[in-house]
This record gives sequence, C-alpha cells and structure tokens, in this order.
Amino acid sequence: MGPSSRIVIIGNGVAGMEAALLIRAREPQWPITIISEESDHFFSRTAMMWVCCGQMNHQDIEPLQRDAYANANLTRIRARALGIDRSAQQVLLAGDHPPVPYDQLLIACGSRPRPGPWKGSQATGVGHFVTMQDLEWLEDEIHGGPASTRAPRHDAHLRASNPESPYFKRGTALESRGSTSSQPAVIGGGLIGIEAIEIMVAAKRTPHFFIRDEWFWPIALDTRESRWIGERMEQHGVQVHLEHEIEELVTDDNHRLTGIRTNQGEFGADLAVVAIGVMPNTDWMANSGVELHPRGGIPVNGSQATNDPNIFAAGDCAVLPWWDGTQRPEQLWYTSRDQGRVAARSMLGEKATYQRGLWYNSAKLMDIEYTTAGFVNLNITGERNWYFEEQGSVRSTIRIVTLSADDQDNGNQSDHNQGQRVIGFNMLGRRWDHSILLQWIRERRSLQWVLDHLKDASFDTELTPPLRIPKSALQQEPIAATARKTNQPTIEPPTFF
Amino acid sequence: MDQQGQNGLLTTYREGWRKRGLSGILISLLLIGFYLFLYFEDKVHRYYHVRPLTDLAASLGLRNRWYLYGFLYCAAMLFGAFYYLKRHGNSRYNRIRISVNVAVQVMLGFLLPFIMPLFGGTEFYASYFWPLKYDYLYPHTLQDLPLYLAVYTIAGSLIAAPLLAFFFGKRWYCSWVCGCGGLANTFGDPWRHLSSKTTRSWRFEQVSVHTVMFLAIASTALIGLDYLMDNKSSAFHAVVSGNRWDDWSIKYVYGLGVGAILSGVAGTGLYPLLGPRVWCRNFCPMAAMLGLIQKLGRYRIRVKPDMCISCGNCSTYCEMGIDVRSYAQNNESFTRASCVGCGVCAHMCPRGVLKLENVKPLATEKGRQGLPIVHL
Ligand SMILES: Cc1cc2nc3c(=O)[nH]c(=O)nc-3n(C[C@H](O)[C@H](O)[C@H](O)COP(=O)(O)OP(=O)(O)OC[C@H]3O[C@@H](n4cnc5c(N)ncnc54)[C@H](O)[C@@H]3O)c2cc1C
Ligand code: SF4
Repeated sequence: MGPSSRIVIIGNGVAGMEAALLIRAREPQWPITIISEESDHFFSRTAMMWVCCGQMNHQDIEPLQRDAYANANLTRIRARALGIDRSAQQVLLAGDHPPVPYDQLLIACGSRPRPGPWKGSQATGVGHFVTMQDLEWLEDEIHGGPASTRAPRHDAHLRASNPESPYFKRGTALESRGSTSSQPAVIGGGLIGIEAIEIMVAAKRTPHFFIRDEWFWPIALDTRESRWIGERMEQHGVQVHLEHEIEELVTDDNHRLTGIRTNQGEFGADLAVVAIGVMPNTDWMANSGVELHPRGGIPVNGSQATNDPNIFAAGDCAVLPWWDGTQRPEQLWYTSRDQGRVAARSMLGEKATYQRGLWYNSAKLMDIEYTTAGFVNLNITGERNWYFEEQGSVRSTIRIVTLSADDQDNGNQSDHNQGQRVIGFNMLGRRWDHSILLQWIRERRSLQWVLDHLKDASFDTELTPPLRIPKSALQQEPIAATARKTNQPTIEPPTFF
Repeated sequence: MDQQGQNGLLTTYREGWRKRGLSGILISLLLIGFYLFLYFEDKVHRYYHVRPLTDLAASLGLRNRWYLYGFLYCAAMLFGAFYYLKRHGNSRYNRIRISVNVAVQVMLGFLLPFIMPLFGGTEFYASYFWPLKYDYLYPHTLQDLPLYLAVYTIAGSLIAAPLLAFFFGKRWYCSWVCGCGGLANTFGDPWRHLSSKTTRSWRFEQVSVHTVMFLAIASTALIGLDYLMDNKSSAFHAVVSGNRWDDWSIKYVYGLGVGAILSGVAGTGLYPLLGPRVWCRNFCPMAAMLGLIQKLGRYRIRVKPDMCISCGNCSTYCEMGIDVRSYAQNNESFTRASCVGCGVCAHMCPRGVLKLENVKPLATEKGRQGLPIVHL
C-alpha cells in the first residue's frame, strides 16, 4: 500500500464511477470524493430513451444500488466545478461550496451536446438529448412529465449553475403553451437522433427527421442497409427528409419554436431535438492550465495522464491517438469504462496502459439490431464488400469487408490468407458475437473461411430460424465498394494487425 | 416475421394500472378477495347461506366451483397470452413457449381432468408434479390412482422432472408446462417489472423458498410414515394427518398455508404490487428443488463480452427479480437457481448481450478475447 492519497473525481458517469470503485477496492483508506453536477446517482446515459417513453423508470437505469456510495465510503458533492487551481491543488466549485483539495484528480466530465449553429437555436421548444436534464425536458415536452414519480432531484444544483451548463434545465414550451408537442422534429441523423425519433414514435407522434446526408447514418451504413432502416422509419410514420440543410429555426413572438426552415422548404414543428453530435464538456476548465485539444478534449497518454502528472482524464472528455493518426475522443460506454479503470490503476501507482483494440459496436435502429466489428465504411484503398440480404421469416443483412490478401501475407503457413482477407463486418437484423468476428479479423481469415464458419459467431436467441445462405450467394465474389458517400476520401489500409 | 429484440418501445410506466399505484392496489384487493372466497366458500355458506361460485359453476354445467376456477384460469391465460404476444411475440422463442404453456394448461390442466371422470376415469392433473402438487405422493392418493397414473406421478416427480431440469434448466417446467408459471407469464405479465431487484429480496427468497421445500418434503415424509405405521399411534396420526380433513393437522396446515394462502391468495393476489412470480420465487417447493438441480446442470445465461451498456432493461423486466445487469456488465455468464428461463431478458436487451443456452458444464469460456486490450 502506497502513501495515502486524496482522490477527487469530477463526474459520476461510467468512467468516474468505475475508477472510484476500483481505487476503493485496492485502497480501503484513501479518501475519495466524487463531484457531480448532473445527478445524485450514477445512471446509464445510454438508457435515457427508455425512461423517456416509460419502458423503465429513473431508478431502473442506475447500474448500482443506491447505497453503493455509502458502502464504498465515497464522499459525494452535488455541485458544478468551475475550475482547477493547480498550484494549490484544489477544485473550485460554484455556489457556497469550499474548494476541494486533491492529491490526484481524475477528470471524467463527459460530453455536452453540440449546440445548433442556426438562428433560433435557443428558442423554447428546442433542446438536446444528452444529459439527465435534457431527458427531463423531453419528458415534459412529449408526455407532460416523467412516467415515474420517483424521478431524481434535477434541481439540486440550480442555485449555483448557469444556462451555459449542459446540466441546466431548460424552460419548456409546455409551460407557456399548456400542452405537449403535437408535431415534433429531430435534426441530425445519428444514433442519438434516431433514439429521439423512437421516443416520439412510441408516444404516437409522426416526427420530422432532418438529415443532412444522402442517407441515414452514412458513417456506419451503406445505401442498401440504410434503405431498410428508412423503410422501417416510414412504416412508423416518421417523415424522413434527406439532404436537408437547416437554415433557421422559426419562432413566434414568444420566442417559441413554430417551424424549421431548410434549404428545401419550411416545415411546421413545435419541438426540435437537435442531435448533431456531442463535444467534450470542458469549457469550465478552459483556464486551468490543463492542456486542451483545439476541439476541446483533454489529450492523455496511454496511462490516461494529462500534461499535469497529478491530473488524469478518462471517458468521453479524453482525447487519444487513433490508428489513423488522428486525435479524437472515443465516445462509447465500454471504452469510457475501460479508460476509467486504467486511470484508476495509474492513480494507484500501477503501470497500466490503455490500448484501443479493433473497433466494434452495436446498436438498435428502430427495431432492427445492428452489430459492427473491424474496419467498415472507411473507404480503404482496395476494399471490397461481400453482401447478402436475407429475406425469409428473418430479415437480415450481412456485409463483410475484405482486402486482397497477397500483399498482406506475412508468411502465415495456413491457407486462410488466400484470396480475400476479411477486415470488417456490418450486420443488421441478426445477433452476432462480435468477439468472435474480431478474432477472425485478427487471425487474418479469408472470406471463404469466414463464410464457412459464420454460424460459429451467431448469437441468435434459441429457436430463431437459422441463417441459410444459398450456394449462389456464397460463391459470389466481393465487389469493389460502390455505396459510398460522394467525395469520401480513401485511406490507406491499417498496418498494425 | 421473426425478430429477436423488443419490438418497439414499451410504455409500461405510462400505464397507470401497471405502476404499483392506487389502481394496482385495487386490482390486487379484487384478486385476493376472489381467492379468499374461492377457498372458503363453504365457510361463507355455513354462515350466510350463499355460494355464488358453486351456483355459477352449476349453471355453466361445470361439476363444482373448482372447474369454474379452472375455466376462468384458462380464460385469463388465453387473454393474457394474446397481450403477451402483442408485446413480445415477434420472437419465435416467446411465441412457441407461450403457446405450449397455454396449450398444456388448457388440455392437461382443464379439459382432461374435466372429461376423464365423465367416462368413469380419474380426475388427474398430468401437468402437475410433487412437490408442487404435494398430495400426489401421499400414499392414499397413490393408492387411489390407477397403476399407470401412480407410476407416472412417481416417475415424473422423482426422475423425469429433475433429469429434464439438469439438461434444460428448470424452465422446461416453470416456463413451458406449469400452470402457475403460465398464469404469471400471461395474465401476470403486465406487472413483471414490479419484482424487487434488491439484495434483501434475494436473501428473503433464498430462506423462504428453501424453507417451504423443506416443509414439503418433511410433511410428505411424515404422512408416508403415518401410513406405514397404519394407525399404530393414534396421537401421531392425529398430529400428522388428522382424524377429519380439517383438523389442524400437519397435512391440513401445509395444504392451507402453502397450497391456498401462499400459492393462491398471495401468489396471484399480489401480481399488481410485487410482480407475477411472488409464489414461484419465494415459496414454490418445486421451483426450489429444480433450482438446486439447475445450479448443477447445463442451463445458463451466456453473456457476450464487453457489449453491455448497463441500461437495465434485463433487470427491470426480470420477473424473478434477478439483477441480470450486474452479471452482464461484468462479462459473467451465469446460472441462478431462481431463473425460470422465460427468455425476456435476452429479448429485451437492446444490444443482444444475453443468450439462454444449455451447454456441457465447464465448457470453455471465451472470456474477453479481441476487445480493447488493457495491459494491467
Ligand atoms: C442518448 C445517448 C445514447 C448513447 N448510447 C450509447 C450506446 O448505445 N453505446 C455506447 O457505447 N455509448 C452510448 N452513448 C455514449 C455514452 O453514454 C458515453 O460515452 C458515456 O456515458 C461517457 O461516460 P463518461 O463517464 O465519460 O461521461 P458522462 O457519463 O457524460 O459523465 C460526466 C459526468 O461529469 C459530471 N460533470 C461534467 N462537468 C461537470 C462540472 N463542471 N462540474 C461537476 N460535474 C461535472 C456530470 O455530472 C456527469 O456525471 C450514448 C450517449 C447518449 C447521450
Ligand atoms: S445485458 Fe443488455 S439489457 Fe442488460 S443492462 Fe446490459 S445492455 Fe442492458
């Protein structure tokens, strides 16, 4: 056991909590303080959509029982951090809270929504869907309030917060209009956007969905895959508007949203969820002397340490070097958790490095399940795609990305490097075990081998009719990827595996 | 069309009667009142000279009020199954499971026992086994059964049920065959999210369910002993079996306490307040027994590594109050004794993390291969 160290963690999201619990498991005596502006309890941000529609209540999305803080002897402060005084080693808080001294500080302050750049973006009836306060705002606007009476104390921090904070609860159009939204809209075709759409559909509305791109979610889906999602949205009454650039959010005299004007016309709307991305939530610490990336994130080394050796960062707010040479945050639940663990180990004085493995993710788009693994939709030079669409009682698509194997062959004895070598999977409709798909990519399996063994990676529930790919489809050659965004640049193949 | 995940978002907590509020309490009181009346109509009749259930049964051509109960039970299951399938019927596992469960109850739990006596046969419930149907191993019951049914009961209770549970988990019974489970998963399904997930409720369940199991075994053994002793000790006979059926004997107390109060009045009556599996989870001796075998057997819930987003859908909708999320977020495939294998956690999971399966014990675990590699 090392000398006692006062640990302060800003943020009780997954990164911060994971770190706190790991440090506590190793060091029963170290004082650990968690500062959080957003909520009293650690909750799953990924699950907000189900709370909004009523599938779960607020407490259901808390991954730990409420006595977890007491049991682990963690001190909690519900307040907004306003800065870090590095010379005195303390965190400054809003309101009448005294500064909190630290020996080691972990910043796990997550993301904030990217504000709309258009005129009217601040109107009543316009909001986001990223924070607990956003969730409460949307519950009000769509349903007139939360489904469960056990909603959290959203206002605990208000007296010391300000409208600049992403955790500031917005005024609702409900208050002045007296009724919930009848014509909602969502701006931005990504994962948060489609979640907001689903909330509206579950509330029996027929929302407008404004998407700037040529099809829904081009960074992950190709045209064929996206068409299916689009069809499903339209079946649910969603009015999908592709290639619409927003020009203005139109308001009335009360500064309340009445419509949305795009480059293709004006549409009536009394509610807009702006979901055009998230950005590191670091404005509060701009003058602390902790180095910030030009786009806001906190650059960290492999041990999650910042330029100040006593300050660490983890989760959505941290910026890491990616395989393609860029410096970006990884805004995912499981990577935030793993970064939190590595930060904790570093703070405990252990040697730990965070290494991002191959990319994988899953999601649910309306009622269609999605799994991806490896290098997909990156437009890698020489990339080919093998594609199959199942149209039986189960509907699914399988897209396998390959590169020609010859020049990559590094003397592997087996024959599975012949022909096309698999580097990525994009699967809709069925369930797959991504860990097996990733293993095949790392083992440099050939397309033929992967197709022969595909059933080993199946994770379908019992009694689901098995996938049968007809011989003719199996024998198809992968074709040069055509379903690309116009002007998408190509990149060189990854060299690290 | 076959899909696996939850089909569209559920508005559970926005439906007042599913929220453990005033309407939940009212529905619960109605159910409890119904069960009390059902069990104690004779007593009511003795004092007030009315027996509406018996009269209603007679007017429907049913032999007694228990057949009326059986009829209502089937009707509630069919009705509930219809709504269950509307919510979760996009998955084939759910469709087949519920259909089998309802069919078993209607055929073996109602029609067959009703029809058999018409042809001079025995009224026999082939879908129920000891120790749930505690009197089916009482010597007098066995004595009165035709030989083939006595063999069926003994072999079913003591050999087939445990063996199937070893290979497929207790779900083969609790979620595919049993009428109590069937009612819970159909009529009771709208309240499945109300089961408590706290560690305290888990502790309570472990103590209570195994206590009832012990009582079931002990009372059956005593009644068997009493039979073997052939009334040699009348004091023992009076305590164990009683001289009249409603003497306060061990046999009567077990039947009243466990058979009537816990399984009927509390088990079903508390659906709208504590979820539909109050009986199965906390009191059913059959569930306890099969659960212990399940722990040793091949059934488990497999967790896909590092894909869980801790959303809590699985835990929320677990009718047995298992905190599935706590295993899923730790990448831990698991078998819990109480799991009845209804499949709803896997169905609800928006990331396809969970899978019910039967595997050889100690099958190699794939662990965390291929994921962000943390060098610790
Ligand atoms: C709607 C939605 C759906 C998502 N779905 C998925 C998904 O399906 N899969 C997936 O992998 N990822 C998903 N994500 C992303 C995922 O939720 C995040 O990557 C993850 O929650 C980040 O965790 P974190 O601990 O870094 O930060 P956060 O969870 O954002 O926590 C930040 C914490 O910092 C505190 N804080 C911030 N600033 C201050 C301050 N100045 N003073 C005091 N406290 C402060 C806040 O109180 C908060 O508790 C989703 C995100 C959203 C918004
Ligand atoms: S296993 Fe699935 S349903 Fe359960 S918490 Fe994880 S992601 Fe949610």
